[in-house]
Amino acid sequence: MAPKKIEPKKPEPKKPEPKKEEAPAPAPVTETPKEPELDLKSIALEFTADQIEEFKDAFTLFDETPTGEMKIRYTQCGDVLRALGYNPTNGDVLTVLGKPKAEDMNTKYLDFETFLPMLQHISRAKDQGTFEDFVEGLRVFDKEGNGTVMGAELRHVLATLGEKMTEDEVDRLMAGQEDANGCINYTSFIKHILSG
Amino acid sequence: RGCSRSTRVLFHEYSIKAAILIQRWYRRYVARLEMRRRYTWNIFQSIEYAGEQDQLQLSSFFSFMLDNFTHMNGNGPGNKYLISHLLDSVVDPLTEEVRQLKYEQIVVPESYCGPRLSFPLSVTDTNALLSAFKEEQTLHGKYVLQLLYETKKFLKQMPNIIYLSTSYAKEITICGDLHGRLDDLLLIFYKNGLPSAENPYIFNGDFVDRGKKSTEIIIILFAFLLLYPDHMHLNRGNHEDHIMNLRYGFTREVMQKYKTHGREMLQLLQDVFSLLPLATVIDNKVLIVHGGISDKIDLDFLSTVERHKVKSVLRLPKRSVVDILWSDPKNQSGCSPNYFRGGGCYFGPDVTQALLQKHGLCLLIRSHECKQEGYELCHNGQVITIFSASNYYEEGSNRGAYVKLGPELVPRFFQYQVSRSTRKLTLHQRVCVAEGSALRALKEKLYAHRSDLMAAFQQYDIDNTGRISTSEWAQVVESVLRLDLPWRTLRPRLARLGADGNVEYESCFEDISPGEPIPPVTPNLAETLYRYRTDLEIIFNIIDKDHSGQISIEEFRQTWKLFSSHLGVAVDDQTIDDMARSIDFNKDGSIDFNEFLEAFRVVHKLDIKEQQQG
Repeated sequence: MAPKKIEPKKPEPKKPEPKKEEAPAPAPVTETPKEPELDLKSIALEFTADQIEEFKDAFTLFDETPTGEMKIRYTQCGDVLRALGYNPTNGDVLTVLGKPKAEDMNTKYLDFETFLPMLQHISRAKDQGTFEDFVEGLRVFDKEGNGTVMGAELRHVLATLGEKMTEDEVDRLMAGQEDANGCINYTSFIKHILSG
Repeated sequence: RGCSRSTRVLFHEYSIKAAILIQRWYRRYVARLEMRRRYTWNIFQSIEYAGEQDQLQLSSFFSFMLDNFTHMNGNGPGNKYLISHLLDSVVDPLTEEVRQLKYEQIVVPESYCGPRLSFPLSVTDTNALLSAFKEEQTLHGKYVLQLLYETKKFLKQMPNIIYLSTSYAKEITICGDLHGRLDDLLLIFYKNGLPSAENPYIFNGDFVDRGKKSTEIIIILFAFLLLYPDHMHLNRGNHEDHIMNLRYGFTREVMQKYKTHGREMLQLLQDVFSLLPLATVIDNKVLIVHGGISDKIDLDFLSTVERHKVKSVLRLPKRSVVDILWSDPKNQSGCSPNYFRGGGCYFGPDVTQALLQKHGLCLLIRSHECKQEGYELCHNGQVITIFSASNYYEEGSNRGAYVKLGPELVPRFFQYQVSRSTRKLTLHQRVCVAEGSALRALKEKLYAHRSDLMAAFQQYDIDNTGRISTSEWAQVVESVLRLDLPWRTLRPRLARLGADGNVEYESCFEDISPGEPIPPVTPNLAETLYRYRTDLEIIFNIIDKDHSGQISIEEFRQTWKLFSSHLGVAVDDQTIDDMARSIDFNKDGSIDFNEFLEAFRVVHKLDIKEQQQG
């Protein structure tokens, strides 16, 4: 029996799992909130060597260990995934991390080899959200149908619904976006967010 | 009623979906911004360290000159003149009394409305100085000379290491590098109060260079030093050194602000800087030095060093002084030479532990390195780096900080950041500004090594397509520039991809063009001149004794020949002569070397486009 090392390049044929005959599904790409436990070891990596080098560069940027051990804290995992251009929800990030406890987020580390299958999984997510989705989403708050939303209302929504943002986060998001009347032209707002 | 409720439910569902979408994208936006902020920081740091490495070059150039003094080609007047310029020490022909009288006799015109200092200084004088500098006034040369002279007299009595105590339950405030940033000093005084018997300060070196108000800073610091000799303490930094000043801007600042008395001020400053104490110790427990330590440092030995003889460590590299002023901490154990800086060591936690133990100390506070948060701890909390120049690389690049120590010797940190614009910039704007600046600096580096880079690129491009893979591009750039940066992440900002997804390597030079039409030299020579522009500037400034901005063609020729033979760059005499003659715009046999150097300043085309679109 092969030792239990994480070998991302070769998916292990034998796993210490309950006696199910079926191979587990490679990547659960469903939108239902309740997902089956994510098994990182089963994810086949499809990145090229060049891509992996590129990911390494970004990963290293976030490595804050004093001796440059190529490790990041759990709490940084989302940042690196997003820095590479994906936009998982916080829930998605916790899923790939294996639903860690809150106190683990700042104390546990993951290395680059462990990170790669997480990245692979996230990269396969179908629903990234397009410009139109965004516009549709904001139009919900456009009471007068004139292309603007009330900044105050948007703040309230972002801080109370979904994956709530903190007041600081909301302030940063809105910085410089509201006009003298506290309104936001949401097309330019969206372009601003998507351009990052 | 039922209808509106289901509409409300639907609205609520849509709202949640919309919220989640925005939140996801926002978090992505923030992470990408953070990534840009981080690599911008890396770029600045790498370039700064690489720049300091050039100091090794300059200092070895001086050694080269010393070694070859007697072997120079011919003994023509040009040679002797040049050598003596570079090697002679400043001789002070005036006695103390004569000098003092001379300064007193300088007449200050009635029209001058700045501060008029009277010695010994009083609080009125320091207040007047602070107000004047806030109003952008300049202190008259007479008072600067007198101040420097008094400071020199005062510092002569000081030992190499100053021992302080936090008795009377006083907290001591320790500040790091200021580098000519007057706004930061004023902000510190505003937040923390002016120096006084109840509010003692230690300034840990690097008061000058890089920033534009180095003169004002040292005037203020020296004034407080004279006013509160027991409560104001200054340590020497590696930039309190006249050769560093030639390169990093302080000399130029003084000469520009004080056309009549600048030279004499610079002479005095050579002495004043070399007389600054090397270290401060608080309560026999906390050691404060500018750079760091090494495994050879011993405080008892350090107190015996004749510090006033070390006008510049670049000409007289006394080991212990160099270590104190130039070293950096590292995380690995041991003590290794600091190649980046060209002097001093990298010292590990074991070295720190050993030194602290040897002298019964518990903490080392040092500066010398810019830190994003203004301060950083390392070596298990036994080393604190404190850096007080905010926005050091660029607006928004970092905070400044100072640290306070009371009798219990528990450090308390205070951070700040100067904002130049009246309208507060958003984080996004600050990152964009800093990033733009960093990328420009990086592009200039690429341009300065164009020939080497192209040669290496072409080695991979066997079929001459003009394209190579991203990996190959990254490898080449890293090995030629020798900067440890995330090149693959930076690639989109530096070079274009072709249709086949490979990098069009020549595109990384597209954005830069030489500013003025350069003298007729080969691209290779132009690059060399561009790369060593700053060193040449230093040498020209040394030769130009009367600081007129002019040197003779003969001097130009000699300098260049010496320098290039030291660098091993092959330049034939004819080329040098052609170059010299083409720059001699007035045809009067003298060269305005600033005009010459201007030719090797580059222009960023994108900047021009932006300005035109305005």
